[in-house]
Amino acid sequence: MSTSDNILAPASRIHLSQDVVQVLYRLLAAGLLCIALALLTESFLNLNNLLNVLRQASLLFFLASGLTLVILTGGLDLSVGANIGISACLAATAIKATGSPALGVLVGLGVGSLVGFFNGLMVTKLRIPSFIATYGMLWVLHGVTYYYMAGETIHGFPPGFRQIGSGYFLGVPIPVYLMVTFLAVGMFFAQRTNWGQQIYAIGANPVAARLSGIPVNVRLILVYTVSGAMAGIASIVFLARLNSAEGDIGEAMTLPAIAAVLIGGTSLFGGVGTVFGTFVGALILTLVLNGMNLLAVNANWQPLVTGVIVVLAVWLDMYGRRRT
Amino acid sequence: MTYLKTLALSLPAAMLATAALADGETIAVFTKNHTNPFFQTIRVGADAAAKALNAKTIHYIPTKPDSIPEQLSQIEDVVVKKPSAIVFVPVDYKAMVPGVEKINDANIPVVNTTDRSAGGKFLAFIGADDYSLGLETARYMLKAMGGKGNVVIIEGVKGSLTNVDRVRGFNEAIKEFKEVKLLASQPANYQRLQALQVMENLMQSHQKIDGVLAANDAMAIGAIEALDGANRKALIVGINGTKEAVDAIKTGKLLASGDYNGFLQGCIGTMVAIRALRKEAIVTEVVLKPTVIDKTNYQPYDTALETRSCPKWDEAAAMATKTN
Repeated sequence: MSTSDNILAPASRIHLSQDVVQVLYRLLAAGLLCIALALLTESFLNLNNLLNVLRQASLLFFLASGLTLVILTGGLDLSVGANIGISACLAATAIKATGSPALGVLVGLGVGSLVGFFNGLMVTKLRIPSFIATYGMLWVLHGVTYYYMAGETIHGFPPGFRQIGSGYFLGVPIPVYLMVTFLAVGMFFAQRTNWGQQIYAIGANPVAARLSGIPVNVRLILVYTVSGAMAGIASIVFLARLNSAEGDIGEAMTLPAIAAVLIGGTSLFGGVGTVFGTFVGALILTLVLNGMNLLAVNANWQPLVTGVIVVLAVWLDMYGRRRT
Repeated sequence: MTYLKTLALSLPAAMLATAALADGETIAVFTKNHTNPFFQTIRVGADAAAKALNAKTIHYIPTKPDSIPEQLSQIEDVVVKKPSAIVFVPVDYKAMVPGVEKINDANIPVVNTTDRSAGGKFLAFIGADDYSLGLETARYMLKAMGGKGNVVIIEGVKGSLTNVDRVRGFNEAIKEFKEVKLLASQPANYQRLQALQVMENLMQSHQKIDGVLAANDAMAIGAIEALDGANRKALIVGINGTKEAVDAIKTGKLLASGDYNGFLQGCIGTMVAIRALRKEAIVTEVVLKPTVIDKTNYQPYDTALETRSCPKWDEAAAMATKTN
């Protein structure tokens, strides 16, 4: 352990205890939501539906978990949805051309990571604010993907590959295992490793972090690459679950993923938040939609309810922070 | 240098050569986005018509799907470039009226296709109507259900014109069958994944779903994946007649898809524009009848778009609902 880590350790512990309180609030909110849904509908509390909710939350979580690290550094990655699009379309092409699911997984993961890596380079080497760099990347990816796909879809993948998205093991959907794995890895990385703690430090005060000897650029490039890689993972599970790829496949997921991170208590200003909080955030967003479908809420009200919950969650968070 | 000189000398000659053919008009084709396969069929139809008549097309497509400001600025560009005529699908039938007026002020002849513009002067309207498309597709499915059973509607983007009209058509058809019960009408924003998840949620609270009316093909296929995943069966219809839908109809997974003939719209719209430029007789309105594509009539839709050819003018004119 270097000296810089020793200096950082106490500060990050304080963050952690604050974060624990924040996460408890989130769990409480999710719990209340569950109780309400269990009282209002007969179908909410059966095992099938709960597994269903977890599987639906998993896709959102893959994206949001990578984004959490980026937002912890005080940055933002707006390209994750478009990244799913290009990763999925190229992975689909690879599977179609060779029939090899393994190659598809490799391509999806590789393309996703590469996009993230370039985002990292733009943010660190070219010093472009992440919001702009990744927004630019979004358009580049859309342009390439739309041109490549020309409005068509690629569909029909081998059953073995489809297991990743629609298969079960011991009665539990495969994506749920993946989610639990990434949740554990993410929590361990962020909370228990020096690198993870350095990411919090960069978000809390980048200048201090640089002065205390943290290789800020290397960490930032890593963080954007991880965010891209998670988009790659999401693209593979997407493909396997949907059995088809189209140019705008992940487009509608960028904002919900950001919302999941914020609802989970991670601050847009960096330095504060947890991967577990993001998991709860993804769960809350998924529960809301599940609940509205189970209750057959009039379609006109659904966007409104979702919007109100996002704003409410973030407002409660800021209110809570002012008090602590 | 010499190269440049030759180029400079040969350019006017080349221009004279095209002018000498007495055709070679340039038709600017405006569509809504790169992502919806329907607009690709319009573009290919327009290209086929132009090619057959010795004219050229230039395509204008907003990089951000359905972007009003972007289509407006594309109109401003085009007014400067002065194409011979314009084939125009407004991204929004009301908001683009000022754009159409700019085209009118520049005296460029313009044909309106797909969505009927709320204002401006056009040579003709070539389109279909979403209401009858929804109505006919739903009628087809409800008849196939034997006129009884439980159905759900999966809606597109709330408030979009296409969705409002299609869903109105669905509901009208349901009213015609007294023994059909509508269990829920939930939005999935024309997105495959959202439709899959909405369907998974609906299956939790409804043990018996006999039919699914989806407002586009991508959502219909999402619903199929959800039903397959739960080992359940239902009749499903979508809208748009995409390649993917045709494949699903062939394998018996999808009952039918309503199509309003984007290829024909592109063909006829472009033919009208070119004929008007050549002072030939035109028609002023074609509202195409919806086609319900099922396993008895999918063959013409199972061919690559590029190999399809436009109808002869007599055939096209025979479809007219208004003539000069």
